[in-house]
Parts: sequence; structure tokens; C-alpha cells
Amino acid sequence: MKASPLGPRGVVGTPLKRPDRTTSVQSYVPEIVKGLGITMGHFFTNTKEMVLGQRNDPNTEAIADGINTVSYPEQQRPYPERFRGVHRLTEREDGSPRCVACLCCSTACPAQCIHIEAGEYPEGDKRRGYERFPDKFVIDELRCIFCGYCVEACPCDAIRMDTGIHPVPYDSREQFIYAKDLLLKMPGRKNDHVTENPRHEPGEATHPGIDRDRH
Amino acid sequence: MNIWDVNIWPLLIIAKSAFIVLFGMNLGVLLTWTDRRQGAMMQDRIGPNRAVIWLPTRMVQAILVLGALGATGATLLAAQALRPEEGAPSTLSALLFGELALFLSWFTMVLIASGAHARGARNSFDRFATGLAAALGGARFIALAGMLAQVALFFLIVASGGGEFGETVREVSFGAGAALFGLAAVGGSLYAAVSMHDEPRVGLRLAGLLHPAADGLKTLFKEDIIPPGADRLLHSIAPFITFFPALVVLGVVPFGDALCFDTAPGQPFTVKSLSTLISQVDSAGVCPTGSTTFKLQALDLNVGLLYFFALAGTGIVGAALAGWASDNKFSLLGGLRAASQMVSYEVALGLTLVGALMVYGTIRVDEMIQWQAQNAWGIFVQPFAFVLFFAAAIAESKRIPFDLPEGESEIVAGYFTEYAGMKFAMFFFSEYIAVVSSSALMAAIFFGGWHLPFVDRSAIHVAVGDTVYLHYAVSHGAIVVLGVLGFILKIIALCWVQLSIRWTLPRFRYDQLMRLGWRTLLPLSLLNVVGTGLVILLLQGASDTVASAVRYLANLSMALLAGGGALGFLLFIKFMMKAPNKKQLLSSTSAEYAQARGGTHSRRMEA
Repeated sequence: MKASPLGPRGVVGTPLKRPDRTTSVQSYVPEIVKGLGITMGHFFTNTKEMVLGQRNDPNTEAIADGINTVSYPEQQRPYPERFRGVHRLTEREDGSPRCVACLCCSTACPAQCIHIEAGEYPEGDKRRGYERFPDKFVIDELRCIFCGYCVEACPCDAIRMDTGIHPVPYDSREQFIYAKDLLLKMPGRKNDHVTENPRHEPGEATHPGIDRDRH
Repeated sequence: MNIWDVNIWPLLIIAKSAFIVLFGMNLGVLLTWTDRRQGAMMQDRIGPNRAVIWLPTRMVQAILVLGALGATGATLLAAQALRPEEGAPSTLSALLFGELALFLSWFTMVLIASGAHARGARNSFDRFATGLAAALGGARFIALAGMLAQVALFFLIVASGGGEFGETVREVSFGAGAALFGLAAVGGSLYAAVSMHDEPRVGLRLAGLLHPAADGLKTLFKEDIIPPGADRLLHSIAPFITFFPALVVLGVVPFGDALCFDTAPGQPFTVKSLSTLISQVDSAGVCPTGSTTFKLQALDLNVGLLYFFALAGTGIVGAALAGWASDNKFSLLGGLRAASQMVSYEVALGLTLVGALMVYGTIRVDEMIQWQAQNAWGIFVQPFAFVLFFAAAIAESKRIPFDLPEGESEIVAGYFTEYAGMKFAMFFFSEYIAVVSSSALMAAIFFGGWHLPFVDRSAIHVAVGDTVYLHYAVSHGAIVVLGVLGFILKIIALCWVQLSIRWTLPRFRYDQLMRLGWRTLLPLSLLNVVGTGLVILLLQGASDTVASAVRYLANLSMALLAGGGALGFLLFIKFMMKAPNKKQLLSSTSAEYAQARGGTHSRRMEA
């Protein structure tokens, strides 16, 4: 009778090879020495690289040979580009906030952590009548859920979460209330305070909106 | 009564006992930390190293600069004193100054270059140093060039001989060495002082060595909890019963060869007698008659090893008592486990050494070391017993892979579940002291104790068979110091191997542990006894040819050790010089940001 291709129990697949029980394995000692060699090798290599400053850069040499441990918090990995960090308020070229106090962000905010009080530009300012500015702009970072809806809602690219800084722990609640001045001081990933999107001020030829002088 | 006439013999006895106690305890403390640090290093982590003492920057700067100036001044004074009235300085002093200066120079340069490379250049000098290091091929090549220069200088001075050229070489090495030493010391410390200028305070970290001290302080001030149902007295004395024997067994281990003083044994031993240290002792292993022998051993007991086993057995009582007195089922189970494990392995521990005792013909540890110094190290005579003893010793100190008395998933912390604060720390600590004392015993019985290959009682004597290759007389005191250092190094190396085993092997199951103890180690150690006895009987009746062959083999084993040591050192240098294999790959925006910042630099965190 022909043997079944599936074996006596009708199981498909190759059986796993049992580990060899050689004398060297059964007498423990050679295997222990081998294992010791591996741990000691790791110890010497890592210690040498640590002492001589030859460790792989855990960020830029991440797929190179060897282990790449980030010794957090001594070493930190920069957050990726799309990471939603602590907010910042961007500036125009003249240093005033881009924000026009339209309240879109505070309306969109599901955590209701943004508080804005709008102010009017003074009489004679070209922007008066077109836009307002935030007299107060306060974000409660403790209440914020970092959803990024405020950034999506902003029509002026005035609020961004591209600081690359994660929310910092403080020891009192007051310190989590970020006011306008602090938000304006937060740098972006390129350590600047503006954005890539150009802004066209009222009165400039490139300004796309209604111009009361022309109409 | 004059202070110079006081008998200081009791003080010397107290001093050597204190040395042994402090050695055991300090090494034990260090091991508690090294164990964690080493485990971290194996996984490429840094481990506990954050303990720090903050010092004002100005103070550190002052210490650095003044210290360097003081060292330079002392060196120049020493150079002045060592300089002969006329003629060139001696070979030894020329070598001393030249080599020391070269070493300090390249070492300082390597430190500056690698430091600046690791944390990024902070000032123009850093940029200069990194640029220079890069031009020379990196810090590794500065080290290589420095070492080569040292070797070259050594051969130049030794080979140049006594002629006019040799005198010039020694003159230059001596003078330029002293100057370069000062330059490197002052330059290095000025660099360090300037580079810490911007920091408001400087942390004293000692490579993380403050961590065990911080841990000790913490446990000392923690609350000491005794469970309500516990036996208060037994619960309190159990840690001491465990701790004490682990430490005092070190007493029978001699740390060095006996010192011989040329003072009559009956005379009071005064401070002046210290200067009568005999410089040349014949290799008979005893001091000349009419001289005082000072043994570097706290307890000169004729029961020797039996004392070790008797006290090691006492440790069992501590563990069992702790388990029973805690009024906790986990503790009781752990105590029983510890007791039965230690009793089982006590048997194997004693029997494995019987073979060694038969070969050495003594149970006094100092005589065993003398036997090994005259013949061959125990590892060559009783290799099998060493493996068995090593396994039994790890089991006896209840460490991984034999840490069955503890076990978070089974019986919490075993017999010390109900202990807190310093009492817990004492259990923890006595485990490490047991590692130290078993390492000391292994070093004494299997690795020649304070004996170093080809180092006689008062000479470096290289001989295989009847051929003498080198004989260089060294004073006996220097050899003893060398021996003590060698013994301490051997203990540290063995401790390190024991720690590595902890990070390598998984633990046994309890029945496997018992089977290993009773059904493997015990019969094997009995076999070892029988085998050793047979070989001894055969050798006793052997001819002169066989005896001289055995002697030749014994000498060869010493040559093997010395050659292995030298080869190991060369391999170590080669390993240190090996360039790391690095490939840069910016695979994410995160990596790109890191690259834009000039790589990942680590910042020091505060404790």
C-alpha cells in the first residue's frame, strides 16, 4: 500500500525539526560559555561605543548595524513634521499677529479651550474695517486635546501646531494657560515666527478681497 | 613614653581586618549597582547613573587649575630631586617621566577630541580640537599614535645604552617629559575649566558611582516595617544572621604574600620596625628565622576552609528564620526553598573542593596559594572541580539561574517579602557580598590567589623546565603590593563573570534545581574525588621522567597564563581601535530634523 503524502495523521506541512540533544548541549557548560560570550560581547561593544562616543546616532543612523537605543530623556527624537505640538500664533512681516480674531478656531474647538477677545484697529489704520485683531488670545493647554481642528479652521494660517514641542508639564494650573504673548513667541520647526503662505495686506495690489477704495 | 616606642602590632591587626571588611562591603555595594549598570549596558542603555552632587563652578575651576598647578609643581620638584648632580638621569627616571608625559598628553587630547565630538563643538577651541582630530583620523588614531610613541620611547631608551647617544636620549626624555607633563596637566585642566565657564554649577558624578551611595542612604532612612504577627526579635536579627557570615568568611582568605620584618619576634613592633621590611626573601615560602611575619590575612586559622564552610552554612539559618518569623506564607515558602537549596548545594560545594584539598595537601588557604605558586594554578590541576564549584557557589548565593527562593510570579520576594528599608537592603546586600566572598575563595583556590605567573617571592623569574629566560630581582614589598592588586583584580573579574551569568541564563525550575544538585553535582564531585585520588597515587609511584614532565607541564601552564594575558591585552587594544560600522539613513522627517540639528546630542538630566 502506498504511503499517504499527508503522512499517517493526514497533516499537511513539514514537521519542525526537534532541537538536537548533542552531548555539548546536554552537558550545559559549552552552551553556557557560548551564551556568556554573546552577553559579554554586547557588553564590551556597547560599553566601548558609549565610552569612546561611537554610538550610532539613534535618529540619523537608525537602520545601521547595531542597536539604536534612544536614551530618553537624555536624548530625544525630534517629532515628525506632521506632529501636532503646542500651538503658536504666526506673525505678519511687520511682527503683528496674523490672527484676525474671527473666532473660527474657538468655534471649532471641541474642548472649548480657546478664548479670544477681539479688538478694533485704531482709526486711520488701513486694516480698520477689514479685520480685527485679538486683544486677548488664550489657550488652556491643559484642556486642549490636540485634535488640530483649530488649525484646520483658521482662514489666515494664524494658529499652527507645528512647534514640534510636546505639552510641557508644569506644577500649577495657571502655568498651562498660554496667553497671546507666549503663543506669539513659540517658534516653528524652522525656528521662525512666520509661515510659508504669503499674506496680502489690505491696500496691497495682491489683496484679493473687497477694496473700499476701488469699489 | 615615646610615641616611637609604642607597640603598633595590634593596630596593624585591626588595620588589616578593617581593610578586609571594607573591601568586602564596598565591593558588595558596588556590585549592587554594577549588576544593574552592566545589565543596562548589555542592552545599550546607560543604567543608573544620575546621582549627582552639585558644586559651584568657580570652586571646581579653582580645584582643577590649582590641582594641575600643584601636580606640575610636584612633578618638577620630583624631577629636581631625581636629577643626578652630574651625568644623565637614570634609565628608570627617564622612562618614568617620558612615558607618563606621553600618556597624559595623548589621553588629554583624546578626551578633549571625543568630548567635543560627542556633545558638539561649543567654542572655537572645540572646533579646532575636532578639526585636528578629524585631520589626524579621529580620536582613535590619536590614541593609537600615542601608544605607539610610548612603545617607541621605551625601546629607544632601553636600547640606546650607556653611550653619549643614550645619555642625550635620557636627558631629553627626562627634561622634555617633565615639561610636557606640566603642559598637558595645566592645558587639560584649563580647557576643562574654560569649557565649564558658562554653566552655573557643575555636577560631580564619578561615572555614576554616587548612585549606590544614594541608594544606601535612601534605604537607611526608609521606614522599618515589622508585620503585626511577626516574631519581632527573630524578624529583626535574621538579616544580620544572613549578612554577617557572608562577610566574615573573607577573613580566612589571604590577600597577599606574608610580609617579613627584620625585627625579633619577642621585641615590641614599633613604627620604626616598619622600615625593616626585608627586601629579598628566598622562595621557600617562609620568612627567615629571627624575623617577624605579618600575614595579610585577618584570621590565621589552621582549620582554613572548614571555617568558610561552617560560616557559609550559618547563612542558611538567616534565610530560614526570616521566612519563618515574617508570619507570611510566601515568606515561609521562600525560606523553606532557600534553606533546602542551600543545604543541598552546601554538600556539593564542600565535596567539589575535596579533590583540590587532596592535591594541595592542606586546608589552609595560604598554603594552598603557596602550592599553586610553586606548581600550577588550581584551574589547571582541578578544572572539573572549578566548573562544579562555580555552579554550586552561584546556587549557594541564591542568584540567577538559581534564584528560586525569590520569584515575583510565584512567591513575591520569597523569604524577604516582609522586609523593608535597611533590613531588606541587608538581604540584598549580603547576596552580593556572598558573590564577593565566593569569588575571593575561587580566586584563591583555582586562580592562584595573590600569585602572578613568573613572579617569584622577590624576583621576576621566567623559567620553563630548567631553562631560565629572565631573572630580575624586585623587592619583596613591591611584589606583595603587586600580588594584592592582582588578587583584587582576579576577584573583580570573577565577580564580573558571575554578574554576566545573571544576565545570560534563564532560571531553573525547582525540581530541576534539586536534580542538578543531588543527581549531577554530587555524583560528579564524588567522581572527581576518586579520579584525583587515582592520579595522585599514579604520580606518587611514577618515575623521574614522568615527574619532570609534569613539572614541565606546570611551568608551561604558567607560560600559557602569561602569554594569554599578553594576547588578551593586545586583543583588547585591537578591539578598542576597531572602527564602528555606521551607515547614515535619513528615513523620516524626524531623522531629517535631527540631521538639521547636527545629530542627536544628549543632555544631562538631573537626578
